[in-house]
Amino acid sequence: MAVDRPRRSAGPSLAALLNQERVFALALIAPLQFLLWFLLIIPTIIVLYLSLVNWQPIMGVDWWQAPFAWLGNYARVLQDRRFWEALLRTAGLVGVSVSLEFLLGLGLALLFRQDFRGKRLLTSVVLYPMMLPWVVVGLVFFLLFLDKGPVNYLIGRLLGADAPFDWYGHSISALGVIVLADVWQWTPFMFLILYSGLGALPKEPQEAALTLGASRWQVFRLVMLPLLRPIVFIAIVIRALEAFKIFDLVFIITRGGPGTATESLSLYLYLLSAVYGQLSYAAAMAVLVLVLVAMLTRVATKPLEQRAIR
Amino acid sequence: MRILAALRWLIALFAAAVILLPVVWTLSISFKPPREWVAYPPRLIPEEPTLANYQVLFQVGNPVGAIAEMTRSAESVSRAFLNSLIIAPVATVAATAIGFFAAYAVSRYGAGGPLFPLSVLTTRMFPPIAFAIPLLVYFRMLDLIDTRLGLVLMYTGFTAAFSLWMIKGFIDGVPRHIEEAALLDGASRWRVLFTITLPMVKGGIAAALLFVFILNWTEFLLALVFSSRHATTIPVQVSHYAGAVGRFYGPQAALGIVASLPVVGAGYLIQRHLVRAFTFGLVK
Amino acid sequence: MATIILDRMRKEFGATVAVDDVSLEIPSGRLACLLGPSGCGKTTTLRMIAGLETPTAGEIRFDGRRMNDIPPQRRGVGMVFQNYALFTHLSVYENLAFGLRVRGVTGREVDQAVHRFAELLELEALLGTGVARLDLSTMQRVALGRTLITQPHVLLLDEPLNNIRPGLRETMRAELRRLQLELRQTAVYVTHDQEEALSLGDQIIIMRQAQVEQVGTPEEVYGRPRNRFVATFVGSPTMNLLPCRLAQDDGRLRLVADGLLFGAERWARAREAGPDLLLGIRPERLTLGSGGLQAQVTLVQSTGAEQVLELMIGAHRLKAVAGRDRRFSPGQTVRLDFPSPDLYLFDARTGEALYE
Repeated sequence: MAVDRPRRSAGPSLAALLNQERVFALALIAPLQFLLWFLLIIPTIIVLYLSLVNWQPIMGVDWWQAPFAWLGNYARVLQDRRFWEALLRTAGLVGVSVSLEFLLGLGLALLFRQDFRGKRLLTSVVLYPMMLPWVVVGLVFFLLFLDKGPVNYLIGRLLGADAPFDWYGHSISALGVIVLADVWQWTPFMFLILYSGLGALPKEPQEAALTLGASRWQVFRLVMLPLLRPIVFIAIVIRALEAFKIFDLVFIITRGGPGTATESLSLYLYLLSAVYGQLSYAAAMAVLVLVLVAMLTRVATKPLEQRAIR
Repeated sequence: MRILAALRWLIALFAAAVILLPVVWTLSISFKPPREWVAYPPRLIPEEPTLANYQVLFQVGNPVGAIAEMTRSAESVSRAFLNSLIIAPVATVAATAIGFFAAYAVSRYGAGGPLFPLSVLTTRMFPPIAFAIPLLVYFRMLDLIDTRLGLVLMYTGFTAAFSLWMIKGFIDGVPRHIEEAALLDGASRWRVLFTITLPMVKGGIAAALLFVFILNWTEFLLALVFSSRHATTIPVQVSHYAGAVGRFYGPQAALGIVASLPVVGAGYLIQRHLVRAFTFGLVK
Repeated sequence: MATIILDRMRKEFGATVAVDDVSLEIPSGRLACLLGPSGCGKTTTLRMIAGLETPTAGEIRFDGRRMNDIPPQRRGVGMVFQNYALFTHLSVYENLAFGLRVRGVTGREVDQAVHRFAELLELEALLGTGVARLDLSTMQRVALGRTLITQPHVLLLDEPLNNIRPGLRETMRAELRRLQLELRQTAVYVTHDQEEALSLGDQIIIMRQAQVEQVGTPEEVYGRPRNRFVATFVGSPTMNLLPCRLAQDDGRLRLVADGLLFGAERWARAREAGPDLLLGIRPERLTLGSGGLQAQVTLVQSTGAEQVLELMIGAHRLKAVAGRDRRFSPGQTVRLDFPSPDLYLFDARTGEALYE
């Protein structure tokens, strides 16, 4: 235990003291444990149960009386084309967004390594997109890409002709707007991590590389980037996990449309559960997604663990 | 060399523009009368700036014409505002307090086992919708759907783990012998916690408060699922406006601006006073 | 190999002057030591030669060519850092090969060069190892090899043996010197250890507080120090200094140190200097014998091969060095002889050494 037992000539017995410490620790952690059980563990159990039965609220029976369907829901999910499309689409969104965020964030971080006029001001400016509510970001970009909005206007000016392009009418362009909104909001995150990471790199190997004849670009590529790898890795994993949950942006900008062309996994799950009421089916899908995310995270962080051991 | 410096400055300027303009555009629309919303070519500065859009939000003033029509179809955001102003701060304070206590227990006593901090972090990894599904069932039984209490509970639960993660690092940094000295002097453990440890991790707690506040204020999915009429929060209200009010871009923009103010304020506070805490927590 | 010339170099960091009007010439193929206490500007001077710091004023020339505006990567300098600065994500082989690879050298040429220098530095067996696993002295050899392989105009070393334990340090020092001589490599070596500098350098440059105090061979800085600082900085144990004044009686100059007389005929300049003087003699030059002044032993420290004695003459503390043959103990009275050729005189106010 962490604390030395106070030495007193007369006083509570050793056992009582130990007890007191343990009680204290338990009391401290109790609220969190309660919340965890209440909001995480029990719901997980319920979700598992739900996925194994066939229950919808409209059926009129209580959920614990629903008939068992065992793995039937899971089979349905795996055969659900809309599910696979949403999954792949979400993965694609994540891939494109995170890659762009990384590249742009890196560029910004490199830019900030040197001093320039107004650097401090720009730093404040750069950070605030992360603070905005996702729904507002969605709204902001929705307004930008309207038929008669500024983006179409600027494009028209560039091309010399009016081009009222319906961004939300085509799946690719609608996805593009969503990606753009996500990149706009989260590039600062990558920037921050990469910037701190770069700053924390030891200076001497960089100087050594210079004296050995490496150009600044070579120093960056051969000496700094490799050392940055663990941090880059973590940043990408964290961001990718968050991006996978994408919901707010899709909901506000396109509502999943046109049709289901921009439907993310979370959106589909939302529709299934909160709108269509197919709770069991949604539960099965949710479990599959949870397992998938857990597996991917394990795979992604394993290299990190190994490095740490070394 | 000087060309490089100029180029650098230009890129910086470009970056600033890209970051600022979208919101500036929204701000601009929020002050425009209806006929200017989709005027072509679009102008940055409104010809006839007006506060009407904001008035629609709170259903104040004497709107006329098109705005009156909007006001009728749009609902007042007052309730959503009130809800958010209650739910977010309460959940934030609760989550931070619970997180602080738990962080202390984990740091000093290894409570919950060695894997505890990592496992609580997993709560943020999974899509919230996955938890929403069983919670729907659960909360219905407990009659917590569409209630403020229900949302507060959920928000507290989902962010308490986050605040634990943030604060634990700070508590680890407080040397134990200071606490032990106080214990030897006869102070109770609770006393030590509040009078010695707490002041020393003030920075971490403030950082956690601000972060969790941002998370709670901007949370959308759970609020959407679990509220219908009574417990609507600001983000849900934004989505109502974006959907139901159709092409009434003015009030939409105004609501977006208003919805962002508290968190931008929090963000500013973070930057101003806690930049170190921010990067510390983030990079760790 | 190049001759390095520093012409009135100055470096300011804000309000602090780190290097003040330093001019040096380091001949090609020689090893020059920048010696001085911490903060004297020696590392900054070294970094200016490397191009890692830009001088506030002054000029650097390699073989007559002005280098001020040339960035480090094009100067052809090789630098060995105190903390080695190895590329921890690369193997020993790749660390050695780095300087060649960035210049576009490929394939067999690289391989040959790497093996040649690996052999020279006894690193053959470790070529495939990652550098993170090596011990300190091996790391330093890799750092050395990495720079030497690029055949730099000048090799710059910033207290490279600081982190090596004392026993190994002498060995590596000798190795370094051997290599430098064999390759005829111009080198500048920064250190605060005067023993190291004296044993390594062809030329010793002593610096203090941003300025050069003295430049010379080891014999010169040891035997003919320009001022009090150099006299006490060089040599171990530190030179003894006794405060004294000129006595004017009987027409000849006499030094009076607390009532003790020393002949002062040699130092005509003593008359020009201020009234307060310092008499200097190195501890190893004091002879313990039958003649001379009476002194009391206060402390005996044995270093195995010799003994360092602390003594008192009146109120003055002195150190002397004796061989192993005699036994001494605190409280003992001995006679100290001050051989005239080994005496130094310094102006107590300016610190300047007074030679005739």
